[in-house]
Amino acid sequence: MSGWRKKERLWGLLFIGPNLLGVTLFFILPALFSFGLLFTDYRFANPDMNFVGLGNLKRLFHDELFYLALKNTALFLASVPVSIGLAFLVALALNKSVYLRSLLRAMFFMPYITSGIAIAFVWMLLFQPSKGPINQLLRAVGIENPPGWFSTTDTSMLAIDIIWIWFMLGYFMIIYLAALQELNSELLEAAKIDGARGWVTVRRIIWPLVSPTTFLLLVTGLIMSIKTFGIIQAITQGGPGNSTTIVSLYVYRTAFSYYEMGYASAISWVLFAIILFITLIQWFGQKKWVHY
Amino acid sequence: MKRNRWMSASLVLALTVSLLAACSGNGGNGGEVNSGGNGKTETESSSGGKKTEVIKLKMWGGVPVEAGPQAVVDAWNAEHPDIQVEYERFVNDDAGNMKLDTALTTGQGADLFVNYAMPRLKQRIDAGQALDLSEFADYNIDEQMGRDASQWKVDGKYYGMPTTRGISFMWLNKDMLDAAGLPIPPADWTWADLREYAKKLKTDATWGLLRHEAIFMNPFNSVLESVGVTRADGTSNLDHPLLKEGFSTWHDMMFADKSTPTYGEQMTSKMPVDTMFLKGESAMLDAGGFIFRNANNLTDNPRTFKIAFATTPRMSADQQGAKAAGGLGDVLSINAKSANKEAAWQFLKWYADGGMLPMAAGGRIPASKSVNGDEAAALLLKGVEDKYDIDSLKKVVFGQFETFVESLPQQVVDIRKAEYEKYLLQQAELDASLAEMAEKHNEFLKQQP
Amino acid sequence: MQIRSISWRKSAATAIMFALGLLMILPFLWMISTSVKRPDEVFEYPIRWLPDQLLWKHHLKVWSGPKGFALYYANSLKIAIIATVGSTFLAAFAAYGFSRIAFKGRDTLFVLYLSMMMIPPQVLFVPKFIMFEWAGIYNTHWALILPGLVSIFGVFLLRQFFVGIPKEITESAFIDGAGHLRIFGQLMLPLAKPAIATFMIIDFSWHWNDYENALVFLTESDLYTVPLGLQNFILEYNIDYNGMMAAATAGILPMLLVFMAGQRFIIEGISSSSVKG
Repeated sequence: MSGWRKKERLWGLLFIGPNLLGVTLFFILPALFSFGLLFTDYRFANPDMNFVGLGNLKRLFHDELFYLALKNTALFLASVPVSIGLAFLVALALNKSVYLRSLLRAMFFMPYITSGIAIAFVWMLLFQPSKGPINQLLRAVGIENPPGWFSTTDTSMLAIDIIWIWFMLGYFMIIYLAALQELNSELLEAAKIDGARGWVTVRRIIWPLVSPTTFLLLVTGLIMSIKTFGIIQAITQGGPGNSTTIVSLYVYRTAFSYYEMGYASAISWVLFAIILFITLIQWFGQKKWVHY
Repeated sequence: MKRNRWMSASLVLALTVSLLAACSGNGGNGGEVNSGGNGKTETESSSGGKKTEVIKLKMWGGVPVEAGPQAVVDAWNAEHPDIQVEYERFVNDDAGNMKLDTALTTGQGADLFVNYAMPRLKQRIDAGQALDLSEFADYNIDEQMGRDASQWKVDGKYYGMPTTRGISFMWLNKDMLDAAGLPIPPADWTWADLREYAKKLKTDATWGLLRHEAIFMNPFNSVLESVGVTRADGTSNLDHPLLKEGFSTWHDMMFADKSTPTYGEQMTSKMPVDTMFLKGESAMLDAGGFIFRNANNLTDNPRTFKIAFATTPRMSADQQGAKAAGGLGDVLSINAKSANKEAAWQFLKWYADGGMLPMAAGGRIPASKSVNGDEAAALLLKGVEDKYDIDSLKKVVFGQFETFVESLPQQVVDIRKAEYEKYLLQQAELDASLAEMAEKHNEFLKQQP
Repeated sequence: MQIRSISWRKSAATAIMFALGLLMILPFLWMISTSVKRPDEVFEYPIRWLPDQLLWKHHLKVWSGPKGFALYYANSLKIAIIATVGSTFLAAFAAYGFSRIAFKGRDTLFVLYLSMMMIPPQVLFVPKFIMFEWAGIYNTHWALILPGLVSIFGVFLLRQFFVGIPKEITESAFIDGAGHLRIFGQLMLPLAKPAIATFMIIDFSWHWNDYENALVFLTESDLYTVPLGLQNFILEYNIDYNGMMAAATAGILPMLLVFMAGQRFIIEGISSSSVKG
């Protein structure tokens, strides 16, 4: 038995090894390096570097902008479950029950395959408060005071959320589509014969069956979103009044605009701890709702 | 299935081998380059030692290559077959500067580079990337570029040579001014005068004033230059009464007079203020020389009216010793790790003393006294002389003013912006905004060593 | 009767989804229309979806000149193809290891993997830069390809799908004497085709659109990729939106092709009967 164990271990290493080598080189080592910077006042390329102990962390806990960025990040992440829910419905619709499936899938996937950044600012025009098409539509359906979107600090993040839902929808959808292909169609047939129809089938059978995928999307979706900054930098640069400055954008600004690499590392590692915490909650919470 | 296995196996192998090869191949000397932080370490370069070989220099700048730089390096290369310069363009934003910074640390691929802001130049000096130009004794920067050049000195030394004069100024639609019976404003006009002008010039179809986002803060910076960024006790001066007056005047022009677009409207619609002005949709445009490129292009921006110029108004008659914002700029530095510093210096001198003239057509006026001002003006106005009021152009664009270089740390610029935005979007009272601004600035000042 | 009523419902669903789909691609329609507009039409309100006159000069400008887009295109294709193919293999192998081979410390290692996905990439640039320079791959395509071969997301995605494949299938093969390599190659890979195709589409789009890495690690303009090429249209104080949109339009084509090719496998996913057979 123990010989078999040893062999299994060897096989495990063989299968995972090449990937692990890459992860070590391109993730673990740089991460350790950046963890070391956390305790310094390193400025990029500047050889004059001092050990500051926990100084960066202390500064962080008194940094008002950091707390604001945390709040903004939470508001930003709210878009992820919404987008996942919508993507599930779209994937269901585009799985079998429509014509022109390829074309429709491509349309919904389009946002994800462009960098987003290149066309990000068209959203600025669509959301333009006085003359933009979105508010014109809202006025046409009788809303007299449509939101000011990017022109007020209260609604700018809502606009960003909508853009992010639009952007991530295709990614969530395509993975749901792949998951739907793996569903046991006999089970679905049996459910149909039992008289379960439409919405009941979706809720009682399909939704639980794709729960491992939902779990995957929730974990990766949150991780990807929490790390993103390019699209916000392109549209609002964090404004107005820092109302769309999320933590990762603050890291970017601190590192590349203020050159404070040590402090940027500190913010990053606190952000890392937060993501890890959220992910662990999900990981242990998955037993309650994920059915493998 | 066999094929799959082989393909993946060979891929893994390729990954490992290439990594190892790369590591062992260049590991040694790469490390040395990195350790040379003080800028004195010379790296070995194949083009360095041998005299017969052509020296290749690379210059990094933020101006798009077709807007002048290509013509500049082409002219140099034709004259100097032994020193060939290539121009590399970087976008002058955070990401683009990061790219330049990384390239500079390697000591290759960037021999000369242009700095556009004091904080970036300082960072590069601290990192040992910008060469101290006092090692070359054959050129007197103060004498050539004038007294204002010294604002680019750091610790009493030049680590880069300012090459352009780029103050901001007011673009005027002369026809609209004439129609309203308004003269070209005098050099010492104020924001109160500006407000009156805008009010009178505004019609149902046209704005009185448009302001370019890039120079939004210039008049405010000019105040800070007069009164100091901090008070005598070392605390923030961002809530100075003159600044308050400025913000409130600007605000009232937006909301009371409606003579200029509101901040929210301008930002959310990405208002193309330069093309709007050139289309005759505004009587005045607060901007700088960078508009010339579009203004001189009558094919894309046809216009019939004449353009006149005025200085940027002072915030108030109370503002003592107001200086023009912008000043000398385009500070050209030599990479301290360059293998060809001497050649880079040759090019730098040539560039500053007239080599850069092809860029004048885009509004970059050479600062060196070796450059004939008339020649630059002629280049700038070639073919469009009748579209400008030459008298005010000579007085303002080519005028001699006391100037200053904005050198606020980026953190302070961002703090200020976040707060005044709230006021101009009518989401906060002015006093609250200014108080918040000053408080955050004070916190920043405390952190500084 | 029944068939007709079903197809009627299908048509209605198609119409609704098409309308929603149009909303999704609205920004792209703007992009294409901007690429054939005059500069002064770009910011006009109401938005002009169809310009008075179609101008092709922006598209011509994109492809002409000494450093035209063809070069950036070739560079991007090279990087994206090598990295995508490589990372798919590496991820599939690792995912199999994490889902089908039982060894001590496996799950701990997997959590370590996941946690590495969470580090903000901004702080890894500097350490990676120092490492790449030391290894001599800074300012070469290897600086994008080698890290691109490693996708933690891919391992996670494929693992989730492998886990979902019934254990009985692999166990019976194991009892029949098949080794891990055979089970991986002959059972798991074909079964996970939809997931693999999905991953390749997503991974390719990441490489194709990767801006930050290319920006920091490539300085030679001959090595530039499409996202870096788009930067050429950012002028000093404004942006050449027409040119940029023309370039961005061209930049989407390869992605669409990859999507169209890949999604056939997602449609043709194996039904349960073939699993049992």
